[in-house]
Amino acid sequence: MVIMFSFLEGEDRGWSGIFGIMMEIDNEGSRQIRVRFITKLSPPLKVPDMSIAVPSNLSRMGLSETVNLLLKNGDPDCEYQPFDFVIDGELVRMSLEEFLHAKGISAEKVLEIEYINVVAPRKKEGACVHDDWVSAVDGSNPSFILTGCFDSLGRVWKSAGLCTHVLEGHSGSITSVCIINPTDVGNNTCFHLATAAKDRTLRLWKLNAAEMDTYPVKLRPFKILKGHALSVQSVSSGPSLDMICSGSWDCSIKLWDTKESGVEGNAVSVKKRKVDSDSTLHEESQLEADALSTLVGHTQCVSSVVWPERDVIYSASWDHSVKRWDIESGKDTLNLVSGKALNCIDIGGESSALIAAGGSDPILRIWDPRKPGTLAPVFQFSSHSSWITACKWHSQSWFHLLSASHDGKVMLWDLRTAWPLAVIDSHKDKVLSVDWWKGDSVISGGADSELRIFSGVNI
Amino acid sequence: MGLQNKDEPQGLEEDLPQDDHGEYAEASEPAEESDSSEDEVENRNTVGDVPLKWYEDEEHIGYDIAGKKIKKQPRKSKLDSYLAQADDSKNWRKVYDEYNDEEVELTKEETKLLRRLQKGSTPHAEVDPYAPYVDWFVWDDKGHPLSNAPEPKGRFIPSKWEHKKVVKYVRAIRKGLIKFDKPIEEPKFYLLWGDDSTSTEEKRHGLSYIPPPKPKFPGHEESYNPSVEYIPTQEEINSYQLMYEEDRPKFIPKRYNSLRSVPAYDRAQKDIFDRCLDLYLCPRTRKKRINIDPESLKPKLPSRKDLKPYPQTCFLEYKGHVGAIVSITTEASGQWIASGSTDGTIRIWEVETTRCIKVFEIGEAVQHVAWNPVPELSILAVAVGTDVLLLDTGLGNEDEKQRIKDLLHVDTSAGSDDLDGTALLVSWCKHEKYEGLRLKHQKTVSEVEWHRKGDYFTTVVPGDILSVLILFLDIDIFFFRAVLIHQLSKKFTQNPFRKFHGLPVSAVFHPTRSVFFISTKKNVRVYDLLKQKVIKKLETGLRDISSIAIHPAGNLIFFVGDNVIVGSKDGKLSWFDMDLSSQPYRTLKNHPKDITNVAFHRSYPLFASCSEDCTAYVFHGMVYSDLNQNPLIVPLEILRGHKSTNDGGVLDCKFHPRQPWLFTAGADSIIKLFCHLP
Repeated sequence: MVIMFSFLEGEDRGWSGIFGIMMEIDNEGSRQIRVRFITKLSPPLKVPDMSIAVPSNLSRMGLSETVNLLLKNGDPDCEYQPFDFVIDGELVRMSLEEFLHAKGISAEKVLEIEYINVVAPRKKEGACVHDDWVSAVDGSNPSFILTGCFDSLGRVWKSAGLCTHVLEGHSGSITSVCIINPTDVGNNTCFHLATAAKDRTLRLWKLNAAEMDTYPVKLRPFKILKGHALSVQSVSSGPSLDMICSGSWDCSIKLWDTKESGVEGNAVSVKKRKVDSDSTLHEESQLEADALSTLVGHTQCVSSVVWPERDVIYSASWDHSVKRWDIESGKDTLNLVSGKALNCIDIGGESSALIAAGGSDPILRIWDPRKPGTLAPVFQFSSHSSWITACKWHSQSWFHLLSASHDGKVMLWDLRTAWPLAVIDSHKDKVLSVDWWKGDSVISGGADSELRIFSGVNI
Repeated sequence: MGLQNKDEPQGLEEDLPQDDHGEYAEASEPAEESDSSEDEVENRNTVGDVPLKWYEDEEHIGYDIAGKKIKKQPRKSKLDSYLAQADDSKNWRKVYDEYNDEEVELTKEETKLLRRLQKGSTPHAEVDPYAPYVDWFVWDDKGHPLSNAPEPKGRFIPSKWEHKKVVKYVRAIRKGLIKFDKPIEEPKFYLLWGDDSTSTEEKRHGLSYIPPPKPKFPGHEESYNPSVEYIPTQEEINSYQLMYEEDRPKFIPKRYNSLRSVPAYDRAQKDIFDRCLDLYLCPRTRKKRINIDPESLKPKLPSRKDLKPYPQTCFLEYKGHVGAIVSITTEASGQWIASGSTDGTIRIWEVETTRCIKVFEIGEAVQHVAWNPVPELSILAVAVGTDVLLLDTGLGNEDEKQRIKDLLHVDTSAGSDDLDGTALLVSWCKHEKYEGLRLKHQKTVSEVEWHRKGDYFTTVVPGDILSVLILFLDIDIFFFRAVLIHQLSKKFTQNPFRKFHGLPVSAVFHPTRSVFFISTKKNVRVYDLLKQKVIKKLETGLRDISSIAIHPAGNLIFFVGDNVIVGSKDGKLSWFDMDLSSQPYRTLKNHPKDITNVAFHRSYPLFASCSEDCTAYVFHGMVYSDLNQNPLIVPLEILRGHKSTNDGGVLDCKFHPRQPWLFTAGADSIIKLFCHLP
C-alpha cells in the first residue's frame, strides 16, 4: 500500500518524482532490481526504452502500476489498464524476488520484462437459451455460432440470444458440430455445416447466412452420411473443404465426401437418391452417402478427432491413446498413451504442433510430438476438479487455450504459467463444449441448456 | 620428676655456696615456673601431721618456717564464693587447702592428671601401658632346655585305648557300618552360553517374582514451590476436565509459600485402594510375552501404486431417480448404463455426459436389471414384482431394432399349447406399454441374469416358499420352481433344477463355459448345463449369501480354473479357487454391514464389493495361469461418498466393461462413477 500511495503522489512530480519515490522505497530497506520494460504492443502503450530500478518485492500488480505510471508520464491521456508480465517466457505470478529466486535468475544485471495485455474475458453477453443441453459449439466463423443440442437440433446464432437457423433432421442428440468452410467467406455467404449425432449418422447442411428472417429458419440436411455402427462422437473438417472426418463409438474414424452429388458427377462414393418411402413430405430430396474410407486402429470409442493439416488427422479415444493418422496410407504414425480415457483433443500452439487433450480426469495434458524420445506430456494443467469435456486452442495465439469441465468451469490457460488466466464460472451445471469466436470471445455450452458468450478477450 | 624437682632445689640450696646462689636461683626459677606449680610450692605451715582440729579455735593455723604464727585468713561468705564461682570461669579449678589455709588453683596438666586417675588409666599420657613386649631373654642357640627332666615312658608307648578305638572303627568300616561321603562330583558338562536367569528361575519355588513398575523420579514440578513454567494455566486445567479420567494428569503442580502449607495428599486413600485392586487382580503367573513387530506379520503384498489403474475417485454422478437404486447394469460397449429403482422407473444413462436418455416407468419397484451382453441386442431384462420384462432400449440402429422387435414378439396363441409343466411355470405375454415381453411368474422374481450369448436367461424366484416346504416332504412329486432358465428365441422356459436343497439366492451363468452357479443361503452349487448334473458344491461357511460373481477367465489365453467370489450379509467376502478346493481360498472380512453385491471386472484384474455401510471396496484379484501360483488378492481402495438412506448404503456395483471404473448405486438415489487417477 505504501508503494501505491507514493505512486499517486508521484503523478504530480513527474520523472524526478518517480525516482524520488524509488529512493524513498530504497530507504525503506527493500532490495532493488534494475529492469527494462519491453513490449510488442503498439506505440501508445510503449514505454521509453530505459532501465529503472524497482523494489524486488513488487508483484504483478505493482509492476502494472509502474508501467501505467510510465505510460501516463509519456501520454497524460493514457487510460489505466492492467498488464501481464513475461520474464524468460514465463508469466510473473508472484513477487519479483520470489520469481527470480525460483527461476535462478541473477538480480544483478538489468532484467528485461516484457509486458503484454491481460488476457481475460471482460464482458459477459446474454445467454442463448436452448431447449436441452448444449453438447457442441463451433465458432470458427466470425459471423455466426453453430451449436448442437441434446434435443437433436442444431442451431445457428448470429449473436447472443439471436437464433437465425434451426437444423432439423437428426433423430438422436447431436454430439458434435463443425463448419466445413469457415473462412471461405468471399462473396458467397453459403456455408456448409456438418453435424454428428447419436443416431449413428452425420448430416450436412447448407446455410445461407445472408437470409434473415424474424423467426428462425428451419433447415433440412442436404446429405446424410450413414456408415457408423454406433453413435458418432465427433466430426471435424479438414483444410480440404470437400472432406470431413468423424469418430464414433464403433472404434473407427471415417472420412466422408461433402460434395453435392448433383454438382460433382464423378463422386467416388456410392450415392443414391433416397426414395421417400415414408410418406413424410420432403420438399427437397436428401442424399445418402457412405464413407470414403475408414481408419481402424482404436480399440474403444473414438471420442474426438481433429483435422489440422491436409493429410493428417489426430484422434483421441477412450482406449487412452492419441493417434496421428496419415490419410494417404491410412496408418497411424504416432501413438501417445495417456493412461486416461480421453474426451477431447485439439491441435494448436507453437506452429500448430502441440496436442492438447483432456479426458476422464481433471488434468489437461499437452504433448509436443516433435520432442524426440519422450512421450510424456510437456504441460499438465490441473486446476479443474472433474472430467474435462472440451479443449480448444486459440487460432492465432501460441499460448492460449480453453478447457471446459464437468465441474461447471471454463478455464483460460496460458502455456507460460501453470495457473489459469481466467476461470469462467457462470454455468450452473456441467460445461460440455467450448470454443473461441471472432478471436476475442469465449463461447461455451453446457448442461444448463445455455450457450454463454464472453467477449473482450484481448489477445 | 615432680617430686625430684621439689627436692632438688632444696638440696641444691643447701649444697651450693652462697655466692653462686643468686645465679643458680636465677637460672632455676624460670625452670621452676615452667614446671608443675604445685610441687615447688612448699608448705608454709609447719605444724606437721597433726589434726587441724587443734587449731580450729585458734587465730592462727600454725607456724611458718621462721616460727611465726600464720594468721587465719578471713572466711569467705557463701555468697562470695558463689559469686566468685559464677564470675570466674576458672573457679572450678580452685581448691581450698585447709592445711595451708589458702586456695590453690590447679593447672591444666593437673586436671588432666586427675581425670586420667579418675578413669583408671595411667596418670601420665606418655606412659604406654601396652607397649610391645621386648623379651629380655634370648633363647636362640641356647643348647639346654629349661628343665633337664627325662621324658616320661608313657609318651613312648602306643595308647591301648586308642588302639581299641581304631580296631572298632576298622571293623565298622569293614562291616559297612560307616560310610564315607561320596566325593562331590563336579558337573562334567555345563552350559557354556547358558542363561543364568532361566536356571535360577527353575530353581525358585513358589510365586515368581514380578518386578514392580519403576516409579518415576520426582521432578521439579513436584516441588512445593515449582517454577512458573511448571504451573498449568487455567485453560490447561479446564482442558484436563474434558479428558478421560485415565488420561488426566495424576498430579497438577501448585505453588505454596512454604512446605508447611502443603496440604495432605488428597488422593492417598484412593491410591491405596487402587493399589490394592491392582494387587488383587494381579496375575499369579507370569505371562510370557513375545515381542513381534506387527509389521512383520503382515503378508508381503505389492504396493498399490504398482497395481494401477483401479477406481479411486468419484468424478461423475448420475442423478434423477427419486427412490433407492437397487440395480445397475452396463451395456457391452460401455457407452450406456441402466439402473432400476424402487421408485418404479428404469433409467438409461449416457456414461460420458451423465445424461439420462430414457426412462421406463414400470410403476412397481424394480428388483433387478440386466443388459443383454450381445452388443447388437440391446435388450434390458428387468425383474419387477412377479414379472420379468424384456424391454427394447431403442439404442440400436434400424436393422437391430427390427430384429429385437421380432425377438420380442410372441404369439398369444402359442402359449396355450405349451407343455403342461412350463405353462404352469411361466406365461409369456406382451407388455402393453413398452412393446416388450412380459414373463409372468408365480412369485416375486428377485434376479434375472443373461447367458453370454444373449439368448438364454435365468430368473430366481426365491419366494416360492410353498414349493420349498413341500420339497422337504417329497422331492420328486412337486416341481421346484425357484430357478428357471428361459430361452428368448423360442420363448421357452425350462426348470432343470428340481431337486434342490435350501432357498436359492442367486443364479449366474459362467461367463465362458456352459456352467451354471446357484447359490443358496449357505453354499454354492455348480452345475454342468450340458450333462445336467452337479459338478461341485462350494462350502462357503458363510451364513447368508447375498451375491456371487464369477471370474471372467475367458480373456486369458490358457485355461484357468474357475474363481468365484461370494458376498454375504454378515459382511464377509469369500474367494473360491474351484480347482484348489471347495473351501474358500480367502475370506475377507471388511464390511461392518451386509455386502449387497460383488463384481468382477471383465478385463482388468479387479473385483469389488459394496455394502450397506455406504462403502465399496476395490480389490486387486490376479489369477495366474500357472496352477502352482495361487490367486493374488490385494485390497486397494475404499470408495466412500454415498449417504445412508433408510438403512441402505450402496446397493449395487458394476464395473465399466472396458475402463477401470466402478459404478455404484446407492440407496440415496445417486449413481456414482469412480474413475482411476494417473
